[in-house]
Amino acid sequence: MNPVFLRLCLVVALVLSACNPTQSRPSLESATLLPTAKKLDDFKLVHFGQGEFNLDSIRGDWSLFFFGYTRCPDVCPTELFMLAEMMRQIEQNPTAVEAVPQVVFVSVDPQQDTPEALQKYTSYYHKSFKGVTGTQDEVDRLVAAMGVFYERAYTLYGKPLIIEEGAEVPEGLEDSYLVNHTASIILTNPDGDMHAVFSTPHVPEVMIQDLAAMQKAW
Amino acid sequence: MKQFINQILFTLFLLTSFSAQAGELMVSDPWVRAGPPNAPALAAFMKLDNHSATALSVVEVRTSLAVDRVELHRTQMKDGVMKMIPQEAIPVGAHSSTLLKPGSWHIMLIKPAEVPNPGDMVKLTLVLDNGSEKTVSAMVRKGMKMMSGDHDHNMKHD
Repeated sequence: MNPVFLRLCLVVALVLSACNPTQSRPSLESATLLPTAKKLDDFKLVHFGQGEFNLDSIRGDWSLFFFGYTRCPDVCPTELFMLAEMMRQIEQNPTAVEAVPQVVFVSVDPQQDTPEALQKYTSYYHKSFKGVTGTQDEVDRLVAAMGVFYERAYTLYGKPLIIEEGAEVPEGLEDSYLVNHTASIILTNPDGDMHAVFSTPHVPEVMIQDLAAMQKAW
Repeated sequence: MKQFINQILFTLFLLTSFSAQAGELMVSDPWVRAGPPNAPALAAFMKLDNHSATALSVVEVRTSLAVDRVELHRTQMKDGVMKMIPQEAIPVGAHSSTLLKPGSWHIMLIKPAEVPNPGDMVKLTLVLDNGSEKTVSAMVRKGMKMMSGDHDHNMKHD
């Protein structure tokens, strides 16, 4: 037999074995599974009326984290309506998933979003949704741990205002900003570890299908 | 089937009631997305068709809704980050259309005194760069999608 062909077969076999470790990996359409679930440092956020929202609050459940802010008129409502539609479909067909996930909307803008207003805003989309936030430092820690990103973009009379890095925000414009942010949805598993990332675009049916596949394989 | 007929009827209702055709610019499927009672901002979407041979742009929008101010925005994805970029105008090329839809161009209604309920009608007056104005009635509804035509952004007409 052709030695080149033999060598090629060996390479293919090695690649296949490397891709297929002891545990079977679910076939996913939209989510990206982390090679190994990522341990998260504890975090201290606030869930209005429920006290502290921390690692213990997500242990025991599958959780879907979305980061945004309530002054966001386009991306956040679109994602929250999408997640609400996903929940509606799960309620109609509970066996579609192994366990119903909890949806957590983290406001990256505690300057504007009080825990109370945030929860009122979040509950509108689905009564089970949790709106949590905390000090900017605590929010930033979770943002960094989950590999998401946000930045405040200041505007003046509806036009972008460039503020040099390290420079002070001009007086009177402290509230005049939009927030640019990643729209990825982060999945944590019942151990409280970061498990997978759903990149945009998000489709309720696909979210459910991928979630179920990851829950089965866990 | 019944649902299908309802959908057709509703679409016809939308087309007949809310399309405003006056010369160059045609507006169809205008809607304001419903939001929580304490929503600090709402977005309005619609399809703009320019049947004229001259490029047009929407430079200002006024509304019957009591709001702090109205801004024109465009959401753009850059390196996986959603950026909402304020715009001075929303352009509609000659014999072209521009779709204002979630995740793209939109009209932002900032700090509504009262958030309207689904089914309410909101008047939107579009001011064009040539000075002409067009007023349409937009229905408030929940959701993440346009009623139709979500795929034909900036499509050229024949």
